[in-house]
Amino acid sequence: MLTLESLQNRVRRLEDIKDIERLQGIYGYYRDYAEWDKIVDLYSERADSVEIADQGVYKGKEGIKRYYLKLLGAKPPRPGMLSLQIQLQGVITVSPDGNTARGRWYGWAMEALPTASIHEGELRQVWTHGIYENEYVKENGKWLFSKVHYSLIFRTPYEDGWLKTPVVGQIGPSLEVPPDAPPTAYHPYPSRRRVPYHYPNPVTGK
Amino acid sequence: MNQQDLEVLDREITRLEDIQAIKDLQMKYGYYFETQRLHDIVDLFSENTESIEITDHGLFYGKKGVRTQFLEWMGRGANRDAQPQSQGNPAMSGGLVCIMQLQGVIELAEDGRTAAGRWVCFDMEARPWCGVMRNYWLHGYYENKYIKENGQWLFLKLHWNNTFWTPYTDGWLKTPLLGNMDEHPTIRPDLPATAFHPYPSGWHLPYSFKHPV
Repeated sequence: MLTLESLQNRVRRLEDIKDIERLQGIYGYYRDYAEWDKIVDLYSERADSVEIADQGVYKGKEGIKRYYLKLLGAKPPRPGMLSLQIQLQGVITVSPDGNTARGRWYGWAMEALPTASIHEGELRQVWTHGIYENEYVKENGKWLFSKVHYSLIFRTPYEDGWLKTPVVGQIGPSLEVPPDAPPTAYHPYPSRRRVPYHYPNPVTGK
Repeated sequence: MNQQDLEVLDREITRLEDIQAIKDLQMKYGYYFETQRLHDIVDLFSENTESIEITDHGLFYGKKGVRTQFLEWMGRGANRDAQPQSQGNPAMSGGLVCIMQLQGVIELAEDGRTAAGRWVCFDMEARPWCGVMRNYWLHGYYENKYIKENGQWLFLKLHWNNTFWTPYTDGWLKTPLLGNMDEHPTIRPDLPATAFHPYPSGWHLPYSFKHPV
């Protein structure tokens, strides 16, 4: 039977999806400008972790602060550094109770980075592609990140392309600001590993 | 079912519909830009339009300025009927525009009558420069305003802020900006470009949205 409550729940679910898409979009804009303190505030105080490419897992809100503020934000942005990562193709799955959600996104980027290589210190222009599988939590009516995990697919010099040079700047976890755990799923192209989906096939349910 | 519950539900649904309608408007703008249907683009702007500003072209006030920018500057005065199916802009003859409207974050005003939106624009183009076809990548952000008039969302302000405009053969690090932007020989804007600071300036385009937390 159609009830007011069932309509309210359906509307809320749509609002939740829109709010999470918005959160991920805002994350992307702050990320483009390396505004790490603003990103830290997008995480719940009870957040699980952040893990980006081969940098390892930083656990809890304390670890998340360490990752963004001590590791990424330790030095002022170097002139000419660029990292424009577009947040694309979000698939959001809200839990039945409406308190948590998961999302899969492409993070596709044009960057100019000082890559670790014989060219260390020299900026290189790269294409970067990867997949987020993130988790979100609703607290006091607001959606926040509880987990961010970005699996790198390629990070290739502009002049080379992903086939010729799938990954540059593969330096592993920081020694100065070490993670709480090593990378859990770092298998870039051409490893043939696939990032697991948080959702079942919508038709078969498998 | 009491009236108050229904009114709350109505407001929530209206908000969702508004956000989607604004996103559709922005994406339709992109598709019209792709095919250079410039008259169709002008129709997406309110008669009360505040201003339009694209890359370093400068700022134009009002709906009149929208017509100047799209129809006179870009369209070189071609009328609507003269628009071929896929190329309304004679200056773009033989060109290609794949101008993607991505990552929209919409901020609705409390009263639901106006809104602001930030978007990423990623654009793959080919166009003739001094008679030579060149292909290139463009990146930038929109910071736009929208208004709901007679139930329909329209552009109230459009600002496309260019990050880079780089030849395909070079890339953004080597050549962030083509020296030769799309200038018009005679048309001058109402104001010079207000915020043209492309890479690698490190300049940040202010956000229309508030931090969600």
